[in-house]
Amino acid sequence: MASDALVLELRGITKRFPGVVANDGIDFDVRRGEVHALLGENGAGKTTLMNVVYGLYRPDAGEVRVGGKPVVFRSPRDAIAHGIGMVHQHFMLIPVMTVAENIVLAKEPTQAGVVLDYEAARKRVRELASAFGFVVDPDARVRDITVGQQQRVEILKALYRRADVLILDEPTSVLTPQEASELFQILRGLTEQGMSVVFISHKLNEVLAVADRITVLRRGRKVATISRQGATEESLARMMVGREVLLRVEKPPASPGEPLLEVHDLRVLDDRRLEKVRGVSFHVRAGEIVGIAGVDGNGQSELVEALAGLRRPVAGRVVVAGRDMTGRSAREVLDVGVGHVPEDRLRRGLVLDFTLAENLILHDYDKEPCSRLGWLFPDRILRWAAELLRRFDVRGGGPRTLASALSGGNQQKVVLARELGREPRILLAAQPTRGLDVGAIEFVHRQLVEARVQAKAVLLVSLELEEILSLADRILVMYEGRIVGEYGPEVQEEELGIAMTGGRPVVEAA
Amino acid sequence: MTVDAGTARRRLAGRRLFTTRLLAIAGIVLGAVAFWIALPPLTTRTVAAPIAIGIVAVACGIWAASRKERRLGWGAAASGVLGIVFGVLATRAAADHLEAVVTWSSLVSLALVYATPLTFAAIGGMFSERSGVVNIGLEGMMLMGAFFGAWGADVTGSWMGGLLLGILSGGLLALVHAFFSIHLRADQIVSGTAVIFLAYGITGYLYNDIYGDAGTPGDLAAVPDIDLSWLGSLPPHDLGGFLESSIGQVSLLTILALALVVLSSAFMFKTSLGLRIRACGEHPRAADTAGINVYGARYASVVMSGILASLGGVYLSIGFNHSFTEKMTSGRGFIALAALIFGNWRPSGALAAALLFGFSTALAPELENVESWAVYGTLFQSLPYLLTLIAVAGVIGRTVPPAAVGRPYVKQ
Amino acid sequence: MTEPGSARAQGGERPTLAFRIALAQRAGGIVSPFFTALLAFFMGGLVVLFVTGKNPLSTYEAIFKGTGLNWLLPWETCAHPCSAALSLQQTLIQFTALALTGVAVAFAFRCGLFNIGGQGQYIVGTVAAVQMGIWFQGLPSALHILLAAGAAALAGALWGGIAGVLKATVGAHEVISTIMLNWIALWVASYLVTFGGPMQDPAAGTEAVSRPISEGAQLPLLWGSRLLQGLHVGLFVALAALLVYWLVLNRTTLGYEVRAVGFNPEAAAYGGIDVAKSYFLAMAISGAFAGLAGAMDILGWRPRLDLTFVQGYSQIAFIGIAVALLGRNTAVGIFFAGLLFAALRTGSSTRNLDPEVFRPELANNLTEIIQGLIILLVGAETLVLYLLKSGRRLRRRGET
Repeated sequence: MASDALVLELRGITKRFPGVVANDGIDFDVRRGEVHALLGENGAGKTTLMNVVYGLYRPDAGEVRVGGKPVVFRSPRDAIAHGIGMVHQHFMLIPVMTVAENIVLAKEPTQAGVVLDYEAARKRVRELASAFGFVVDPDARVRDITVGQQQRVEILKALYRRADVLILDEPTSVLTPQEASELFQILRGLTEQGMSVVFISHKLNEVLAVADRITVLRRGRKVATISRQGATEESLARMMVGREVLLRVEKPPASPGEPLLEVHDLRVLDDRRLEKVRGVSFHVRAGEIVGIAGVDGNGQSELVEALAGLRRPVAGRVVVAGRDMTGRSAREVLDVGVGHVPEDRLRRGLVLDFTLAENLILHDYDKEPCSRLGWLFPDRILRWAAELLRRFDVRGGGPRTLASALSGGNQQKVVLARELGREPRILLAAQPTRGLDVGAIEFVHRQLVEARVQAKAVLLVSLELEEILSLADRILVMYEGRIVGEYGPEVQEEELGIAMTGGRPVVEAA
Repeated sequence: MTVDAGTARRRLAGRRLFTTRLLAIAGIVLGAVAFWIALPPLTTRTVAAPIAIGIVAVACGIWAASRKERRLGWGAAASGVLGIVFGVLATRAAADHLEAVVTWSSLVSLALVYATPLTFAAIGGMFSERSGVVNIGLEGMMLMGAFFGAWGADVTGSWMGGLLLGILSGGLLALVHAFFSIHLRADQIVSGTAVIFLAYGITGYLYNDIYGDAGTPGDLAAVPDIDLSWLGSLPPHDLGGFLESSIGQVSLLTILALALVVLSSAFMFKTSLGLRIRACGEHPRAADTAGINVYGARYASVVMSGILASLGGVYLSIGFNHSFTEKMTSGRGFIALAALIFGNWRPSGALAAALLFGFSTALAPELENVESWAVYGTLFQSLPYLLTLIAVAGVIGRTVPPAAVGRPYVKQ
Repeated sequence: MTEPGSARAQGGERPTLAFRIALAQRAGGIVSPFFTALLAFFMGGLVVLFVTGKNPLSTYEAIFKGTGLNWLLPWETCAHPCSAALSLQQTLIQFTALALTGVAVAFAFRCGLFNIGGQGQYIVGTVAAVQMGIWFQGLPSALHILLAAGAAALAGALWGGIAGVLKATVGAHEVISTIMLNWIALWVASYLVTFGGPMQDPAAGTEAVSRPISEGAQLPLLWGSRLLQGLHVGLFVALAALLVYWLVLNRTTLGYEVRAVGFNPEAAAYGGIDVAKSYFLAMAISGAFAGLAGAMDILGWRPRLDLTFVQGYSQIAFIGIAVALLGRNTAVGIFFAGLLFAALRTGSSTRNLDPEVFRPELANNLTEIIQGLIILLVGAETLVLYLLKSGRRLRRRGET
């Protein structure tokens, strides 16, 4: 398998963005036939480093060598020509085009030099897929296939371009544990055929499961490169974060009260009018955290949007604190005491061009004390905002600072401050820690536990199983728009994983 | 297993949707027929016929609408109602009035005339938008083509010279739009508007400076017509005669526009370059990471759109009007954009929409010929714009623009 | 992993020139609009130089004299009747319409909508104002004016509202629908005043002109005489509109909603704002301002509607786009940009420009070119920054 021949070397790579040093003199190399993991927190500089390798960024200093020779990549085209392929975290696939079109794009087989030879493309994709043991339909449109299949299309894209080095950026974030282990099988198959793999991740167990060597990055600097032998989750975590990490959240025992959120046989369509939530029923009681686990795209987003009044359900009922709120507007839902931390804070949670004060009154700008009869009172708003920012420990700006000027963690604190500051009875938290660093994640978790202590009903939707396991009092698994299982907090990760792939349709009473 | 079942279900649903859609389209056509039979040459005088056909159209529409084909369905219903209303009105109008309005052969030939510049500009717009750049500036590029076409023809004494200069000017203006919206990442709509103002200013300035009050010379070299009068000998005699009088003399540029529909369609959907351009408009980052030069593709497409739009302008000045006047494009660039949307960003659809708008433009002056309607003369001028408004309102949401259109792409 | 926020935040600690200017712009700074205007004039000057061979400076000087702004200079002496004063009155009359149409465009802009339908809304405003001014003879003057202006604003609101409704319900792009509405308004108004049309003045023979509005409906004059098209009180309406614009945007919940939708409609919807309603209201209010502009021109100095006014002069509403863009959609910015364009228009009009220096009919087109350049350059702040940074490579900014 792994030999000592270096296929890719990075020497002293430095990459600066205005005001930030994303990579600071990083050395990194890849041997033929190995899986080399690049481990680090969100924001540690992993993706930046690999974007340098893939020709998307140009380093400010340092050198890239392929097969021992120094190279300069001006664009991905140069990187591809040198045998480097990359599977991005957000897939670089065109949804309306077919699998075959996506794979051959920019290296199309043609007739007479111009006419696209779709037949040849399809044939080539079939050959390639069978050579590596994949099952894909070349004529399917990418938007119609599953995320796992899309990932394989991405890998095929790199293989079609004859990649020697395959870079995978957080490849398991969209996969179930089972799909992830299938991916690991595939990667092993690739390395056996002499390919090298760079595996970017922030998940310790995965890195230990798949890598031959592990390089840890922290805040743009390389901490160490170690062999998998002898590495433990604890030692890796310490290197990654730079201090001891609490892997489990401390929380007092649950004392649930009456149900505050009740959902009966809810059905919701997505933008393409496909039924994404297909008859979901559950309830959340005061003083408990209910977690919804599942792979991305199984209807969680549509469910939360329907509960928050942003999407009108086609059937079923939503009862909030005893009042039927089915199909009510977002404003009405907010006003009966629902807080909502949306899954994408940049797209939806914040108006980036608004000041923090303006963001903090997003739900209540039309009520006392912010305004009366349509007239705003800036002084009151600023005072209220200053108070909230202090309470939620938002750093990097005051009430008049633009939201876009804050770091991700502080932006999320602003969202939490707004949602919790209005003392809701129910909190919908959709992926509240996505893209945050460890410190911010701990803050968010503490706030959720605090809300539970204050007898609020918390619905936590997350793609991170660990987060669900450490926070939730009850766990619901969502698969293809249905709740396929309910579990207590002691459930094993494997069991959840099976349910997340629809492996066990039996609903288990908690 | 489950995947197969899912696919099968989807296919079945697809087929059901298809028949529904077909019925809805039939309803729309029937609505038009309801009106048509009351017009010459059929000129039905019974009120019953348009009403009967119109009701069938409405029924088709409602059936389709109830089966999730909402927009097309309601469109068919509306078409049926309109068919009944206009049909009944027409049966009650005096037959000689109708004769005055509806000379089919001249309507067809004029519809082609008015559709030609729209087709050029709409297909131009398709190139730009398929690559991800909104081109509001089509209007300005057409205007550039119109002026420089006329000026070039005047200076070189040949229509070829006019044509070349015309497309050169349109291409250059498009290059400005491309530079600002691609490299400088300006708001594409703002940049497009600016380009229109520039075209107003530049063409107006030069026109006033060079020609002034006298106007462009009366003997401008014109793009030649193609003689298709042999069509008149085609059997049956009526058809042949109709073809000869409607398309017996067609401008070379009209032929070119029709050829362009086929050619650009093949280019965009059958060649590797077309695939790459579409990739840039759908997901530029994906295209970039696959190794496509996104900026290059966008530049080329926007310049192409300027060249094609200015061809439409050349047709206006030296193909049809044989003169240039200030702002003579009068909103055609925008109508072309509407045609593009209406035609779902496809050349054939754009042509169909352009013909529809061309037809309504051709109809407007004819309506004025009706003696008792002459008073409303200028009112009919608003017909194509009204139709465009309704078309845009009715069709949007059904057609899907390229996903990344209008968004500047930032190379990493 | 690229958090745009963090990059920008930390950029604040070690600000680059580009970053400081970007900050200044966000804060409504004047650096970039100023340079933009300067650059546009410079390029316009090059056009003059290359195309006509005339000295651009003397051309601009002549245009400046034509604006009447030299009346304000203490050393300028003036005979009676003072031509500079007359020109200045013209400039301020144009400013009235431009500020109002500029506010119209800017208000829609703040909601994320590009209203290029100012012309149509202006036209329906003039039609409503003329009709109301003809009806209700003998009404008390103040009431009559209020009625006519109100009707014009309402008509404009309706016309803009159509585009707003189409945007809010079926998602029709407002650029296309407003352009179409422009042409529809233009032809309908043309029909109304041409021979045989319902509003045409039978006393005028076949000439395409409406009856004049009654004396009582005309706006009182501030300066100059009615015969010489003196300055009317509409100027104060325009200034008040600027104030109202600022207050509505920054001090009312409606303005808050409009701005939130303009910046990020999804976040606005999440915040509980009815986005469709905001689109409609923004377009209607925008249209009301444009309609009001039409009313001011009719009630102030052009008491009858004719074909050239409908088809030619109404294009003043288009310039509102350039005014709003150059003024960065702020009240103060619109004030200065409005003044600039008003000056350009009067300065280059056939009446005021010295034909010895530059042919007036060309000057009009030159203004159009400058207008286009300004819109182009305003649209691309990066270029101005680029030139300011003089050759240093532009770093990427504001990217996801």
